[in-house]
Amino acid sequence: MTILYDEGQQAIATESRRVLEARVSKDALLPLLETVGEYHRPFWDTAKEQGWTALALPEADGGLGLGLIELGLIAHQAGRGISGAPFLTSSFGAAKAIELFGSDAQKARWLPGLASGETIGAIAFAAGPDALPRQPDVTFAGDRLEGTARSVSAGLAADVAVVLANGSDIPVLALVDLAGVQRSAVASFDNSRLIADLSFSGAPAEKLAAGGAARNGALHILALQAVVTAHEQTGGAEALMEIARDYALTRKAFGQPIGAFQSVKHRIAELYGLVELARANCIHAAAREGAADFIKAAAAARLSATDAYDTAARDCIQIHGGIGVTWEIGLHLHMRRARSLAIEQGSSLFWEDILVDRLAGEAA
Amino acid sequence: MSDLEAYRAKAAAWLASMAPVFGRDARKGLSEADDLALGRRYQKAKFDAGYAGINWPVEYGGQGLGHLEKVTFDAEEMKHGFPSFYFGISLGMPVPVLMQFGSDRDFVKERVLKALKGEEIWCQLFSEPSGGSDLAGLRTKAEPDGNGWKINGQKVWTSWAHYSDYGVIVVRTDPTVPKHKGLTYFWVDMKAPGVTVRPIKLAGGDSHVNEVFFDDVKITDDHRMSPVGGGFAVAIATLMIERYVATDSAGFGPHLDLFVDLAKSVQLNGRPAIEDGRIRQQIARNYAMRSGLDSINVRARLMMQAGMMPGPEGSLNKLVAVRSRQKLSELALDLQGSDGFLFDEHASQKEDWASSWINAPTGRIAGGSDETLLNTIAEKVLGLPQDHRPDKGIPFNQIPA
Repeated sequence: MTILYDEGQQAIATESRRVLEARVSKDALLPLLETVGEYHRPFWDTAKEQGWTALALPEADGGLGLGLIELGLIAHQAGRGISGAPFLTSSFGAAKAIELFGSDAQKARWLPGLASGETIGAIAFAAGPDALPRQPDVTFAGDRLEGTARSVSAGLAADVAVVLANGSDIPVLALVDLAGVQRSAVASFDNSRLIADLSFSGAPAEKLAAGGAARNGALHILALQAVVTAHEQTGGAEALMEIARDYALTRKAFGQPIGAFQSVKHRIAELYGLVELARANCIHAAAREGAADFIKAAAAARLSATDAYDTAARDCIQIHGGIGVTWEIGLHLHMRRARSLAIEQGSSLFWEDILVDRLAGEAA
Repeated sequence: MSDLEAYRAKAAAWLASMAPVFGRDARKGLSEADDLALGRRYQKAKFDAGYAGINWPVEYGGQGLGHLEKVTFDAEEMKHGFPSFYFGISLGMPVPVLMQFGSDRDFVKERVLKALKGEEIWCQLFSEPSGGSDLAGLRTKAEPDGNGWKINGQKVWTSWAHYSDYGVIVVRTDPTVPKHKGLTYFWVDMKAPGVTVRPIKLAGGDSHVNEVFFDDVKITDDHRMSPVGGGFAVAIATLMIERYVATDSAGFGPHLDLFVDLAKSVQLNGRPAIEDGRIRQQIARNYAMRSGLDSINVRARLMMQAGMMPGPEGSLNKLVAVRSRQKLSELALDLQGSDGFLFDEHASQKEDWASSWINAPTGRIAGGSDETLLNTIAEKVLGLPQDHRPDKGIPFNQIPA
């Protein structure tokens, strides 16, 4: 797989950017911060209508048969404009788990809906600081789940979830219909992520994989999602770098644009470096799906994209001075999103360990 | 296999066959004079095998191939530690500029051929004591003298000047106009009367750079390679010749694998250092940075292969890689603790952490300081304003010194 985008891929980037810029604005996103349980419906309607939900799923299951590169391009654009819902990533993760580990019946039941976007999926692996716990809080026994999966992104709206559970001391990857499952909303600093605790209380579930296959499978799903998220983070960082640049060109102090001061212009040039490193790692990782070094590539993309987005959020606000910390200007939307994306799919601490374990195993 | 892959494979095989004669091990313990002599023989071997002037015109002794083949060869060549750095500047900038701007074509052809065979070396006389980043502020002057010119002044940081036969030089020919407009570009014979070369010993003990003094050095007007007053444009063309050269995401320091090996071999708090979170974080961060640069470089090569112009992100390489290498080298010395004191000033920067550390500041200054590179990105890529420049538009001789 090449890391040069072809014409079709470039068209996906251009078109998705055009559509999102026309339909999404910070004015629609700001009120969502003060509401628990709502997301930006025009964003998700757009994703469905444009076929983004189907993009990276197999044609046999109602998808478009494209891959991580194309979905990454959409995620990058969604990140630029701050996506109004977490489903692009969460549904993709759930669908890939079903595609890779599910039976024909499970695929037939869930994938067409996930591909059309009518069904929403979620991934519930993490337990607090542990993105891939050895002893998950949720247990799996007799085809039922017990316990609570905490703070699941998209959990408030999802129809189906893939859960990493403890099945009598071996990990189990379980598929659960969320119809009868109790959810309680978690009020967060980024409410449109629809974060919820899912209390299963004996909810019927189906085993997708067990033992080492479950753990490796969960890591693979996490890595796929991490690459999509890394694109989204890079898009957000790129947008912030441009906002900072534009502001530094227009805002004047001491008789000149503040962008003429090296303390400001170098800060923005450093952001450019972080964005380009993250972008390069994202393109590389998306092209390595299925290769032996995919996990390493995903980790590198994730680490550099998290660094780029967090730093861009910090520095863009700093460059704006007082106006940067107001509610109305909305830079805090990016700052909040930079952090929620940094936590979803495993934080940098998690990916650093995943990466170094592999590097240490390789070095002589 | 693509044509380029076939080219790479053939070059790799040839380079491997040369390694026993000219490679890292063959050079161990040689004096600099012997190493240079070996380097000249290696350069001649490259010429004979068709690996010198890979992307230069055939009429000048080159191979007439593309930039891509050149970069491919360089990347393979870098693995063996050949004594090629004596010719890096010479063939990288002054000689290509001579090919492009030299007026006496027969003379040019003869020089280019000798340079390609390693028989002659050229240096580039740009930086001066009064300024490196501010190239156009240079003070060395050339005054009309009969039918030619007379040069007086001083250059500094001139790599390999002590071995050079010729040099290209930018000098001030008119101090009464703004600084960029009064410069002219010449070539000079480094053996001419009045040229004095004095090596400068650098912090790491190495002395490949020099001060070069010019005292009434007389040259004829056919040495001139730009219009009178048009030297700055040729100087910039020199610096732009190879934007995407063979790069090294290790910042010309050790490979990250060497750091991982070190972390596995030493103990911290009674456990292997590779289990220490502080060490792990730096390994992960450096890996992510280097893999990003590698991906940028691969993409640039693919773009050139497809006939496209690579993006400006290639300018990040040196900025990002060298300063990271500097910090990682410090950490590697920390890891070794008192065992890290042992110092061999002849050790390779690519294999030895102390050597990498002590030479890292040079890397962050030479060929564009970090600050200059950041300014270039800010101004040329992002369109941010230039710094306040009080000397702008003022005749050179009225700028307060």
